[in-house]
Amino acid sequence: MRLGDLLVMGTDRAKTFFAATGIAVAALSGTAMAATKSDMVEIKGEVIDTWCYLSGVMGGPDAVTGSAHHTCAIWCAAGGIPVGVLAEDGTIYMVLKLEGEEPLAQTDSILKIQSDVITARGQHYLRDGVNYLVVQKVVANDGITNFNHEDYGPVPPFSGPKKK
Amino acid sequence: MISTKHIVIRGFLAAAFTLSGVVGTASAADYSAGSQAKEWGLTEEEKALFSGKVVDILCELSGDCPDSCGNGLRQLGIVREADNQLITVLKNSQAAFNGAADDLLPYCNKAVEVDGLLIGDLEEVTAKYYMVQFIRNQGDADWNKTNLWTKEWARKNPGHEGKGPWFRRDPRVAAQIEARGHFGLGHDADQKYLEENE
Repeated sequence: MRLGDLLVMGTDRAKTFFAATGIAVAALSGTAMAATKSDMVEIKGEVIDTWCYLSGVMGGPDAVTGSAHHTCAIWCAAGGIPVGVLAEDGTIYMVLKLEGEEPLAQTDSILKIQSDVITARGQHYLRDGVNYLVVQKVVANDGITNFNHEDYGPVPPFSGPKKK
Repeated sequence: MISTKHIVIRGFLAAAFTLSGVVGTASAADYSAGSQAKEWGLTEEEKALFSGKVVDILCELSGDCPDSCGNGLRQLGIVREADNQLITVLKNSQAAFNGAADDLLPYCNKAVEVDGLLIGDLEEVTAKYYMVQFIRNQGDADWNKTNLWTKEWARKNPGHEGKGPWFRRDPRVAAQIEARGHFGLGHDADQKYLEENE
């Protein structure tokens, strides 16, 4: 479509074009941000420590998930680092609430599900490419399904069990 | 003949293309000028000093806004002044698994300058993620290092003083490891790993 074609469109058709291409969304981002749209979603994925996963500080993504990284994930969640859900398609959802609890509440709910594969239903927000999730209900918990400590050992090494 | 409607559309088009260009430019902007941030060698790390406003992320997104940005119970972020992008802050400057909410909370809804590292290689995350190392109110001369987490932990955990890092003494962490073991698969899995890796 040429620019000239847009100029002879009716206003409604032009709006449709802008919405479809995302141009209007980008152009108006400053005002649109104040009222981020949300939708209800059901996401299945592993509860992860976002810092180690995104920063690469402990190694590649395969090593900072699953059983290998379980203790470190607990440390990070207890340390107040945002917890995420790594969906099966690779999308990371930053958890902003968990079943009514604030993410930094000292209730341990968010610690108890670290590294588990959960199915979470909740409100999804997307802003500036970051996905956020207000988990209303954990509808299923499959526990830890990635036994990668068999390949990597504990990540980091000092997070593993010690002889008594 | 060009009608008023066409002129309106033409104006909107011009604004849209211009502003989308601005957004694109700002997203790829270099914020490293003047930064004193310590390098960590992280994924796609960039030093970044910028100004913005500290916000309660959920409040910013949804309008669910408790007093004082949630008083330390919520994750906080920074809306960058230059491009209005919401920056998700993952870390403070400390090296022991510490988030940044305690360091950002005193600046709730205030205009600040921050210095730290943008990280991450996800193309769709235009603003990247942030490790805040220093913060100050806009207009202040002195920077504050973001190291409040461990002090706040000590305040919340009287009786757990001792040697070693906080995560070795934290009762919440200890309870989880006691319940599920170090790999989350029970103590038998821990024992098996130890036996196989003597």
